[in-house]
Amino acid sequence: MTSQAQILPGTLDLLILKAVSLGPLHGYGVLLRIEQISHGALLIEQGALYPALFRLVRQGLLKASWGTSDNNRRAKFYELTSTGRKRLRQEADGWNRLAAAIASALDTQPEEV
Amino acid sequence: MSLLSSLRSTVSSLLRRERVESDTDEELRAHVQNRADDLLRLGLDRAEAQRRARIEFGGYEKFKEECREALGTRFLYALLQDLRFGLRMLRKSPGFTTVAILTLALGIGANTATFSLLNGLVLRNLPVPHAEQLVRFGAHDPGDDYAALSLPMFQEFSRSQKVFSGTFAWWGDIVLNVETEGTLSRADVWTVDGNFYPELGAWPQIGRLFSSEEENLSAAAASQVAVVSYGFWQSHYGGAPDVIGKMLKIEGIPFTIIGVTRNRFTGMSATLEMEISLPLPATHLLGGQPDLQKYLKRRDARWLEVAGRLKPGVTLEQARAQLDSLWPGIREEMAPPDKTSAELGSFHELQLKVESGAKGGSLLRHRFEKPLYTVLAISALVLLVACVNLASLMLARAASRSHELSVRVALGAGRVRLASQMLTESLALSAAGSIAGCVLAYWASRALAVFILRQIYIVPAELNLSPDWRILGFTASATIVTGVLFGLAPAWRATHEDANAALQQSARTLGGGTGRLGKGLIMVQVALSVVLLASAGLFVRSLEKLHAVDPGFHTRAALDVSLFPKPGGYKNLALVDYYRELTDRVSHLPGVVSAGMMHTRFGNVLEWTERARIAGTEAQGQEADFEMAMPGLFETAGISLLRGRSFNWQDDEHTPSVAIVSKNFAEKLFPEGDAIGQHIDVLTIRKWQNLQIIGVVSNASLYDIRKQPPPTVYLPATQYGDYMGWSHLLVQTTFPLATIAGPLRQTVESLGHEYVTSIKTVRQNIDRSLLQERVTAMLSGFFGALTLLLAAIGLYGLMAYTVAQRTREIGIRLALGAARLRVLKMILREALALVLAGMLMGLPGALAASRLIAHMLFGLSPNDPATLAFVTSALLVVGTLAAYLPARRAMKVDPMVALRWE
Repeated sequence: MTSQAQILPGTLDLLILKAVSLGPLHGYGVLLRIEQISHGALLIEQGALYPALFRLVRQGLLKASWGTSDNNRRAKFYELTSTGRKRLRQEADGWNRLAAAIASALDTQPEEV
Repeated sequence: MSLLSSLRSTVSSLLRRERVESDTDEELRAHVQNRADDLLRLGLDRAEAQRRARIEFGGYEKFKEECREALGTRFLYALLQDLRFGLRMLRKSPGFTTVAILTLALGIGANTATFSLLNGLVLRNLPVPHAEQLVRFGAHDPGDDYAALSLPMFQEFSRSQKVFSGTFAWWGDIVLNVETEGTLSRADVWTVDGNFYPELGAWPQIGRLFSSEEENLSAAAASQVAVVSYGFWQSHYGGAPDVIGKMLKIEGIPFTIIGVTRNRFTGMSATLEMEISLPLPATHLLGGQPDLQKYLKRRDARWLEVAGRLKPGVTLEQARAQLDSLWPGIREEMAPPDKTSAELGSFHELQLKVESGAKGGSLLRHRFEKPLYTVLAISALVLLVACVNLASLMLARAASRSHELSVRVALGAGRVRLASQMLTESLALSAAGSIAGCVLAYWASRALAVFILRQIYIVPAELNLSPDWRILGFTASATIVTGVLFGLAPAWRATHEDANAALQQSARTLGGGTGRLGKGLIMVQVALSVVLLASAGLFVRSLEKLHAVDPGFHTRAALDVSLFPKPGGYKNLALVDYYRELTDRVSHLPGVVSAGMMHTRFGNVLEWTERARIAGTEAQGQEADFEMAMPGLFETAGISLLRGRSFNWQDDEHTPSVAIVSKNFAEKLFPEGDAIGQHIDVLTIRKWQNLQIIGVVSNASLYDIRKQPPPTVYLPATQYGDYMGWSHLLVQTTFPLATIAGPLRQTVESLGHEYVTSIKTVRQNIDRSLLQERVTAMLSGFFGALTLLLAAIGLYGLMAYTVAQRTREIGIRLALGAARLRVLKMILREALALVLAGMLMGLPGALAASRLIAHMLFGLSPNDPATLAFVTSALLVVGTLAAYLPARRAMKVDPMVALRWE
């Protein structure tokens, strides 16, 4: 956990969608899942997760329901809706294209110009 | 996400607000707890784990607020909070709240009431389906408003036109004697054609409306059936369902009641219920003509009012264009063949008038439209003054709450949030004021409408004042605009609160207070008051001037007795002998000085004018007021005979036609030489030719006392049988009305031909003709008084606040030896300086406003110095009084107490 990166603005939603796409999660679970799938490389302000989750529910990308967590606590679980799944695909494609473009731009050698 | 689903989620989360709040709380807390548990497992001790978990989570309240925002409830949540807090603050200062709500109730109530009247009279459509499609048309003489058609003209139009889906015609309103269940009363009678009810979408409350058989225009005789109005049914039959089949008599002619129209059905009139309606052919029974077909087929007699319903997509302009193109042909076709070329000339001058019938006809509209708009402008000004007044009171309150506001700023409240708190409070106040105002308006508009209608109409009349979307929209926007207007100043101030300064500040500093903004507001209020008071003052003074006018006849001690024939009362009656007998008997009653008959009455708004010229000439003629008089009238009215002789009972239909003219008429037509013995012709009425002038009388304004006495011609009614009935008996008496009324009624009754419908003093009739000026003056006077009261409250509030703020400073001044009287003068001077500055600001506005209303004034120049002097001195007096109480309190400040304070 030494080289953590601050996440870019706007990417939190994408990460949440990805995390939830792997299976229904409660809020704290989303945090853990993101840490897990990013191998702890991303630093997330924990509280900021919730306004983002609420927003995604309101946009119809996630749906929320109350259930019981592993440790027998009442918890609110988030699941991806079909629109959410579509959105995740679009956003992921977009992100990959952007990342590839930037990576290739950064890889450019002087002789290639 | 669609707007709708977003709205739905906002609303649902708002409805489950408590639930959503606690759920969010639970979710966020669970997160922190889970984190703490994990940290505990990593080996931290319990307290440290909790602490770390909270730190890693970040600003708990901040994120919760962001969650609310994400849910879309933050705005409403804040609003509810503001509202609750605002209401608590208002409850804590009941005095301020009461004054504010009362002020707003009066302001908004006045506006809503005036607007309701305007809406009922001018804006509102008739309560029939698609009233906007109705178009009235008719032929009129140039310069005369009355437009009508003959039945053949109407039928020709109906056949040839392509713009209407239907046309219909009616005749009325005529007040006639009606006997119901053995009692005699007078009622408004109309006749309508077969399309009238269907085109207006009317259906009966009970019974039925006219059948096509009853409306058959080619029948040999009219069906004697009648439909009565809901109101007539209620007042004459107590709403009993067995009214159907009962008989009523109109002028002695029996009609069977077949139906009752629904409540509020007013036909094509905006104000009159059609008390009794008959089929169109029945008109001839009331007109007394024996042959129905001959009566209906008169081609040039314009007696029908008509309207059409536009086909969908056709505009009023298109309808007008088509009807205008049809008119010359129809006029040509209908020209009476047996008339002289002079009469044909005036027939060919007839013009077609085509206008929207959506709002229905009303006598009142023409007279009251402008006064009502003026009163609305004045009441809007009152509301504006009330706003400014409240703004300064709110500002003073905000200033005394500056400590509270600073604390909230220091705790992190946003400026927008503070401003919205202030606006929420002001909007809550204006909403409360508006609700009270609506109650007030409901009552006031009805009272005013009844007052006006009772003066104008002798038959039941009503204005539709019930709330519609226009009234609701008007009141709602008045409420919101008002709330924002007077909340703006304190809100603005709240956003400029400097937490640091305010927290450190205490009552120790000098001045401060509501500062320049508050003083500015008071000046604006005074300025607006000047504009309003000047206009109101001009209207009141105009009315005074009108009351002081000498119209050239007695207005006091003279009674106007309206006579109405009993059913068939004039049948086979020698009218000249009858009126001679009547005048004679009345003159001999105790307390009666003299009596005389006239055809119309003084102060009649329907002025009777004709054109007259020297007999046998081709001159343009002189326009003159006309009136029919019988012997005794001039003495009774106080119009003096200057030369020649008066009318006497020997002037009848068998003697040469004579006339008496007013002095100015004689001077106009016969500038040099004697009018007596000369002859005149009346251009407009062919039968009235070669009238010999036998007398000259003093000038008088018989009809409109606002006018300089116009040239006037008096004719002896005894020479014109048609003009003798339905007359007015003028009585000069030394007794009060109440004493003489009984004997007068008995005398008329005892002769058995007529009865008295009303006895009024001439003054009352004149006042009735000045109704619009009286209403305008009364309302604007009331609003003026209200404005002065508001000015007093505003100034008092400001000065009381200033004195309270400066108690310590004043204490120091007194301790240092300032004379108490000087302190009093200081405060008064400050207040009066504000008033004077405001007046200077307001004067140009007042002068501009008075130009706008100049045409509604009488006998005054718009910048009447007396009015302006009165307005300024009234404001100065009110200002001094309002400032005196706080000034006295300042003078009485005890230096020791003031210095120890705080």
